[in-house]
Amino acid sequence: MSPAVRTAVDLGRGLVLRNPLLTASGTFGYGLEFEPFLDLARLGGIVVKGISPKERSGNAPARIIETPSGMLNAIGLQNIGVMRFVQEKLPALRERDTALIVNVFGNSIDDYVTVVEQLEAEEGIAALELNLSCPNVEEGGLEIGRSPRSIEQVTHAVRQRTRRALWVKLTPNVSDISETARAAVSGGADAVSLVNTYVGMVIDVERRRPVLSHGHGGLSGPAIRPLAIAAVYQVCQAVDVPVIGIGGIVAARDVVEFMMAGARAVQVGTANYNDPAIAAKLVDGLVEWCAAHEVADVNQLVGAAQQ
Amino acid sequence: MTENRDCTVAGQRELGEDYFLLQVAWPELANQVCAGQFVMLGLPDIGEMLIRRPFSVARTVASEPGRAPCSFEILYKVYGRATRAFSRLRAGAVVSVLGPLGRGFWLPDESEHDRTEIVLVAGGIGNAPFPLLLQQLGPRAQHVSLFFGGRSREDLTLLSWFRERCQVITTTEDGSEGRRALVTEPLAEKLDDDPNRRRVVLACGPQPMLKAVAEICLAREVLCQLALEETIACGFGVCLGCVVEQRHPASEFERYVRVCTEGPVFDAREVIL
Repeated sequence: MSPAVRTAVDLGRGLVLRNPLLTASGTFGYGLEFEPFLDLARLGGIVVKGISPKERSGNAPARIIETPSGMLNAIGLQNIGVMRFVQEKLPALRERDTALIVNVFGNSIDDYVTVVEQLEAEEGIAALELNLSCPNVEEGGLEIGRSPRSIEQVTHAVRQRTRRALWVKLTPNVSDISETARAAVSGGADAVSLVNTYVGMVIDVERRRPVLSHGHGGLSGPAIRPLAIAAVYQVCQAVDVPVIGIGGIVAARDVVEFMMAGARAVQVGTANYNDPAIAAKLVDGLVEWCAAHEVADVNQLVGAAQQ
Repeated sequence: MTENRDCTVAGQRELGEDYFLLQVAWPELANQVCAGQFVMLGLPDIGEMLIRRPFSVARTVASEPGRAPCSFEILYKVYGRATRAFSRLRAGAVVSVLGPLGRGFWLPDESEHDRTEIVLVAGGIGNAPFPLLLQQLGPRAQHVSLFFGGRSREDLTLLSWFRERCQVITTTEDGSEGRRALVTEPLAEKLDDDPNRRRVVLACGPQPMLKAVAEICLAREVLCQLALEETIACGFGVCLGCVVEQRHPASEFERYVRVCTEGPVFDAREVIL
């Protein structure tokens, strides 16, 4: 890694990451599963799978299918619940030299508050990311995430109960993502991350029914990257807090693209399945790109394409 | 130990229309993989293939007889875009491989082997995990029976290879090879023939076949292991995409288990197909 390129990024509320590369919630397990393949300390941070007040078994199969340049999933937020997360995962995670961001999921304001209160006394968590955007559960999540008023309420309720950096992960399945981003900021978010998956569907034409048992699912991967870039570009004009870009990153130039759109950091998602070491490789790739383009500090990329 | 690496293709052989045998050089994997385990196979350029595909390890290959294996083979049928792309690979091409993965078949140990008959059931390309199993059984393979069914004789790949190593009973739906029947028909006859014989049935194939095999075995209280296939995105337990429903979950939370991690081989009593 070239020492000439400065990679640290400031995401607000005193949280400075060593580089802008994060892993997206839901694609990186609880992080520890990736240790055979990469050194977590190479990353800016990791965002672990959405944690709900109680464990969830998720949706019936089939849950995933590949689509052109993408993947459609309806896992249904299968997770071990906040209690077991604190007992079984957090002790090991807090020993790791990387920023740990816990993604929080609930069906109601009370759910979000419950999880956040249980995490508040625990050491080793750098930030919370509120999942207000999952399309794959019947209740909560996306319903809350589509209403600016609900977003503001949930964010505000959580803000009252945590001293930590607070991020809100936004759904693109709205008519105006700037409006939901503003609502998160006015509720007290220190940063917004976007986008979560786009609602999509694949139909098995032989069986005349949707492939996924849940019917629709969330579309991710390079197929959504131009959509995500546009959303990041737009939100960066609407809010002053740092924006974390997500959507179809598979190469270093995709990271650069998100940063030029205005993102201060990025999350790598679906690509982790193809190459479990990709997030670390993208750190190297970003530094190489900057060195080759005489960019001394990655922050110089942020918003470079904004007009 | 599971590893992720780019490997060189050692060769590829077409076994009839749409069936291929791809040989991949990776000595360490070839030496430790167990029958029923799998690898995720992809192309090195993520732009060409976003999600890798799971394949049973079919066989291991040594450079000369008596030496340790230096490569492994996957046996597959072309179904779609990814398998079509794999079928075009030639010696010297590079593939990305994650493996070995999952829990393979568990076999009676040698002391019990004489008392337990191993019965294999394969439907079409479901024969893929069994060559490695026969290789690992060595001389004991000659006591194994393989019930091998397909739509037509073209679906019964590596048939002569199997016939050199174990007892093979074939069925086809069009009658072009063996009995014109579903593979479950002679299987049920075999199990009824000597009902007190201690047996374990290992099956791999399309889901309706697996379901029928499981029912036949469960009704007769014969031990049965099923090698399942699912869409898998990661292969190492994090995407949670490849789940199957458990028959007797300890809690509601444990309703689903991962094919890639808890499987792909399951006791037929454990899962609901």
